[in-house]
Amino acid sequence: MSRTLALDSYLLADADRVVARARAGDPDALEQLYRAFEAPVYNLARRICRTTEDAEDVLQETFFEVCRSIGRYREEGSLWGWVRTIAASKALMRLRRNKYRETEELHDEVTGRQREDTALRMDLEAALERLTETSRAVVWLHDVEGYTHEEIATMMGKTPSFSKSQLARAHVRLRRWLGEEVAV
Amino acid sequence: MTHLSMDALVSLREAGQEPGDAAAREHLEGCEQCRAELERLHQRVARLKALPALRSGRDRWPEVRARVMAERRHRRNRMAGLVGLAAAASIALAVAIGPNPGPIGSSNADEIQQAMDRSQALESALHGYDPESRVLDGRTAGIAQELEDRIAQVDRELEMADLMEQQAREPQVLRLWRERVGLLDALMDVHVTRASNAGL
Repeated sequence: MSRTLALDSYLLADADRVVARARAGDPDALEQLYRAFEAPVYNLARRICRTTEDAEDVLQETFFEVCRSIGRYREEGSLWGWVRTIAASKALMRLRRNKYRETEELHDEVTGRQREDTALRMDLEAALERLTETSRAVVWLHDVEGYTHEEIATMMGKTPSFSKSQLARAHVRLRRWLGEEVAV
Repeated sequence: MTHLSMDALVSLREAGQEPGDAAAREHLEGCEQCRAELERLHQRVARLKALPALRSGRDRWPEVRARVMAERRHRRNRMAGLVGLAAAASIALAVAIGPNPGPIGSSNADEIQQAMDRSQALESALHGYDPESRVLDGRTAGIAQELEDRIAQVDRELEMADLMEQQAREPQVLRLWRERVGLLDALMDVHVTRASNAGL
């Protein structure tokens, strides 16, 4: 059983019946879907988006889409896999809307170097937060959620090579910021 | 000695073989430093996966529910509007043709009237069937949505046709009403077939 299928039964017992009722428009069933997947959707959104406000908006947009499209959900894959893809797409859409924030990366490059000189070690949470939104999204979707570079590229409207290079660059930075570099 | 780049290390973690992976693996066997770097990469990813889940401070369900209900109301109103439009068009046509339409337009007018009657009958049947309250599988829901969108497009074209000269209008209106009947027939089929397949 895949990880996402196992999560379905963990997050929502009796998922098939809940989905059938949700398709019929039963508001209680729709709420059950929300309650079951609210936490992982928010976590995914918050790991990708910069602010809690953006993550909460992504949460809302995701479940609005889930409620509208539950009739189109094909039960071939896991329910969580389907919900997660909607959430990831909404979060990436939010990033595109907030594209101006990417300019922070240039500033980060300069001040980052200065901070390294102080040999300040960050914890992983802070280092992840400090990555650019695009890099952080790629790291999270690939390393944690298990999406392939091809899938990430499709969701981002980029090439798999872009996703690969973003991931490698992000790990170079994380390694540096976490003080994991070894002297050659 | 040139050590493996982060691109190469990240690529080695992937399931598939990338060009250059064989050479990178060969290097890895003889290079303790790169093996250590790869191990650190594995550990970093494991730590990322183990980060605690972040939780929302706000319950967004009331907003989601309100939007879903508003959209549902909007769709219901649209369906009701389709029935109303058919009735209104029927009256408009009767007024336009008048009590004595003459021999040239009478054939078209009869056919238009028949198409409108058929359209109204189908809409009433569909309305009585109450598709909004029924379960649809994903594929059926997609087809039904597409048919509804096309019916809405025909309705817009019917409104535009009202602005045309009478001679050009009649054949156009007849074509559109026939198309509308065809689409409604198909929509009814989609719902009824779905219901019989599901044993409802």
